Amino acid sequence: MKVFNSEKKQTNDFVIPSQQIHKVNQKDSRLLTVKIVLLLLFAIASLRLLQIQVIEAPSYQDIARKQYEAKMILPAERGIMYDRNGNVLVSNSQYVSFAADPKIVGNDVKEVAKKFSAMFGKPESEYIEKLRVKKRFVWMERYVRSDIAEKFFEKKIEGIVEVKEPKRLYHYDETAGQVLGIINAEGKGVSGAEFTFNKKLRGEDGFVIMQKDGRGNKRPSVEYPRQEPISGNSLSLTIDITYQSIVEEELRKGVERTNSDAGIAVMVQPKTGEILAMANYPSVNPNKVTNLEVLKNRTIADMYEPGSVFKIVTVTTALQHKLVTLDKVFNVENGRYKIALTKNESRVITDFHPFKTLTFAEGVAQSSNIMMAKLSNTIGPERLYAQAKNFGFGMPTGIELSGEVSGDVKSPEEWSQTTLNTMAYGYEVGVTPLQMAMAYAAIANDGVLMKPYIIQKETDASGDVVYSGEAQPVRRVIPKDIAQTMKDLLVKVVEEGTGDGAKIPGTSIAGKTGTSRKYVNGKYEEGSYTASFVGFYPAENPEIVCLVILDKPKVGGYTGGTTSAPIFKAIAERIINNKGMFTSVEKPKEEQEEKFEEIKTPGKIPDVQNIAVEEAKEILEENKLRYKISGKGTIVQKQSPLPGKIAKEKDIVQLTLVDTSIVHRVVTVPNVCGMSIRQAMNTLTAKNVKVVFAGSGVVIRQTPTAGTALKNGMKVMLYCEPKTIALQ
Amino acid sequence: MSQRNHIDRLVLFVVLLLMVASIVVVYSASSTWAFQKLGSASGLVNKHIAKVLIGIVAIFIGMNIDYHKYKSFTKIALIGALGLLVFTIAIGGEIKGAARWLNIGGFSLQPSEIAKFALLFHLSILLATKKDKIADYQNGFLPLMLWIGAVVVLVMLQPNFSTGSVIFVLGITMLFIGGAKLKHIVLSLLPLIPLLLLYMVSAEYRRKRLMSFVHFITSFLGFDDGTAVAATASTTNYQLWQGIIGFGNGGILGVGMGQSKQRDLFLPESYGDFVFSIVGEEYGFIGTVFFLSLFLIILLRGFRIAKNAPDDFGKYLAIGITCTIIIYALGNALVTLGIFPTTGLPMPFVSYGGTAIIFSAFAIGVLLNISSQTDLHPRLKKEKPRTPVDAEPAVGKVY
Repeated sequence: MKVFNSEKKQTNDFVIPSQQIHKVNQKDSRLLTVKIVLLLLFAIASLRLLQIQVIEAPSYQDIARKQYEAKMILPAERGIMYDRNGNVLVSNSQYVSFAADPKIVGNDVKEVAKKFSAMFGKPESEYIEKLRVKKRFVWMERYVRSDIAEKFFEKKIEGIVEVKEPKRLYHYDETAGQVLGIINAEGKGVSGAEFTFNKKLRGEDGFVIMQKDGRGNKRPSVEYPRQEPISGNSLSLTIDITYQSIVEEELRKGVERTNSDAGIAVMVQPKTGEILAMANYPSVNPNKVTNLEVLKNRTIADMYEPGSVFKIVTVTTALQHKLVTLDKVFNVENGRYKIALTKNESRVITDFHPFKTLTFAEGVAQSSNIMMAKLSNTIGPERLYAQAKNFGFGMPTGIELSGEVSGDVKSPEEWSQTTLNTMAYGYEVGVTPLQMAMAYAAIANDGVLMKPYIIQKETDASGDVVYSGEAQPVRRVIPKDIAQTMKDLLVKVVEEGTGDGAKIPGTSIAGKTGTSRKYVNGKYEEGSYTASFVGFYPAENPEIVCLVILDKPKVGGYTGGTTSAPIFKAIAERIINNKGMFTSVEKPKEEQEEKFEEIKTPGKIPDVQNIAVEEAKEILEENKLRYKISGKGTIVQKQSPLPGKIAKEKDIVQLTLVDTSIVHRVVTVPNVCGMSIRQAMNTLTAKNVKVVFAGSGVVIRQTPTAGTALKNGMKVMLYCEPKTIALQ
Repeated sequence: MSQRNHIDRLVLFVVLLLMVASIVVVYSASSTWAFQKLGSASGLVNKHIAKVLIGIVAIFIGMNIDYHKYKSFTKIALIGALGLLVFTIAIGGEIKGAARWLNIGGFSLQPSEIAKFALLFHLSILLATKKDKIADYQNGFLPLMLWIGAVVVLVMLQPNFSTGSVIFVLGITMLFIGGAKLKHIVLSLLPLIPLLLLYMVSAEYRRKRLMSFVHFITSFLGFDDGTAVAATASTTNYQLWQGIIGFGNGGILGVGMGQSKQRDLFLPESYGDFVFSIVGEEYGFIGTVFFLSLFLIILLRGFRIAKNAPDDFGKYLAIGITCTIIIYALGNALVTLGIFPTTGLPMPFVSYGGTAIIFSAFAIGVLLNISSQTDLHPRLKKEKPRTPVDAEPAVGKVY
């Protein structure tokens, strides 16, 4: 049998009549041709698949991934800033912004604009204009409160996207504005503490890989790991917001009263170097910065010629080197002292209060420049210069805040003929307000200069303290006895001398006035002064050092004694009244000491939780423990330190009370509606509740609502509105 | 003639496997689109399932009808189909885009599909009847060529260039196998070449597609580097480019069932003409080769059935049916792979789309009926061998 192709073999189980063979075979060969062509195409397809799916697959996989994966940053929550007492100064609030893709909105411009106009009250034309822009992205409405946004966006609008935007919320508006600073649109700190501590505050952004479809719609993908953001560290500043508010308010009033150009004030704790307040006027509200110029924290970034307040350098040098005694008599030339410089040139030093003679102590109290000039001749340049440096002038104080300048204290070889005499009363030298405050703090602190600091503690996202600010002595500037003498002299300044404007009955205040001509355009300008007062109290055990500087006071005098000292007084008075402390006369000390008698033997701290407050007090008093009560109510809800800890001397047991009307020990979310954000924050944080804000001003709504059982780590969302709106 | 033996079970199994697999593939490939457009991820696959079910019924109907029964009315059916084509073209003048489809009671029929199968059946009869006379131009080749030409021209007028071309290729293939003289075939193809070229460059998008195709071929042969291809493809032929990304993204093993990314609105028609790319993405090289192998089995078994068909009519019918399925499958694969210029060809049984699946399924049923009349799958082992039933009386002169 003639066989044309092998295919035939397998089907040979029947016999093909021989006459048909050639015909069949001819056609079979054509069938085979078609089959071969088709098989070839199969082979080509397979080879092409091999090329794309095996050999070149990685590059296509790359292209594909780029197409459908979109990395979305999960922004880290920026750290919160507290004051020394745990009041929230800066926190974050969630807002929603609406953006449009004008291309997608397309022909619905009018309709969309109408919807926005109806909700946000702006004219339709404004939105229409935005939507006519030939871009793919345009902001329609920014920083909308989230509940309003939710209502508005219940029904999605084609072409409109909502973007959640965190907004930094500065709870006290302009209070401590320059100290806290601001962040820019990218959330990076650009001034103040926000800038200096940006790394600590910013945290670490997380990300989530989103899956994108061909139209650019994104959705989270479960296949990829999600990197959760790590919240920034929280900072507790040494600032006391109450003091800060008082200082700023009084400074503002002082500036307004005297019609000064500006005002600066610094308040520090002399024993530790903690900054309690730093004020700059004109102030800035970080929530809405309009003038970037005023963002500068002049307390550290500006230097000035201090004038008489610098005399402590001269006085302490003279005392330390025993060049003078308190009752040594000086001829103070009736207020005019002429010094011959060359044959034809001379220089006149004047005193504001002219006297014929003064004892050294009186000379300090009356702030005699002539006496200082004379004294400086006996001190000599080297010793005066060394003492100035000792007090920390001419070098940065080392405070954590950035932007600090070192001031300008020239070394004697650079001095002019007049420098020794004029520096003795505070000219030809540049200092920062903080340096000056720290120098006085050194005197208040028995002669030891402290390094100023503003971070009390840094807490990470999990609540662990990662850094604690500590009192750091820099050096002993003067012996303790000299410091004591200096203190006494400064008390006299206030009691009998130029600083009497700062006198407060019942409190002993030490201080010094300073008035310096402003050096403008190469000469000391007539009628243009820097007036300052720096002091501390109570003089016997100083707790607070405060420096007040006015720039160009024009009304009601120009001297530190008449303009700045009253501001210092107002501040000190208010703090004394506010805290009921530092008053040595009105409230006898013994009364307090009796109550807080120290415990002799260390015991364990008893458990006083969940019992009546009266009972708790008794138990604690029996154990000779001091206590502090916060909150209202009759039952102790929480105590700190916790029971079982070894009680140490001076331990204060903090008791948090709870209202019994709130059912038996089931802790619930308190009602904070109607409260200011500050109050609400304090109320809620006391209960260990995390607070999220929307808006600012007064709380108008809260979720969960008051009375909901409280869980640990619970978040409460507060919706706020500016007071004016809330009242309507 | 009744069914004497078993059907080719392998072909039935393969086709059923393709149809069932198509449900999974179409579901994945259409889910995103359906969810966006219809609000439900299964909105499209449900329709597909319905057609698959009808298709399975169609297989069994075709399988159980003796294929000889079609003999008597293929001519009328073909004339009817031509009439339908004329009718739809006439309507198409009024309603834009309606020319390819005909809606009958909720079902949209493609007259081109009906015409294709009617032509296939009629050509089989003609070839079987004319036998050697096919070599004669006047009485053999020309009448058949006229039928083919009529269908192709009308389909192309719809306009449906791709289906028209495939029908043309199919017709020529049948003439070739039927024994038409090569001279006749080549001579009738020659004048078509300039026409084809003219058509190719007559529209901007076709020119671009052609250029991207040329780039693909040159790069495939190593004359061109891949970047140019990517650039041309991504700009001039977005769909093809996305399809190829799909294949590539699948790699060897694929990204897994239902994990396609390209279906997320990157690849247009991901459930239709480009469904093979989704197969490639989800099941990888292994999957695409497996799918191709299924069609390869149909090819090999189909030709074996043809060779062993009890008569010439059965033989040509089996070849015609097998070739239709395979040309579509290969055409689709090669288009999605960028070897052939992009044109709309569905992958038989797998692509979502219209009533094509029902017609193809019915055709497979007919093929299976032919297989049952061969001696390849004897019902009884001891049945005595049969002689081929080639010697049937001629039906007469049929064109």
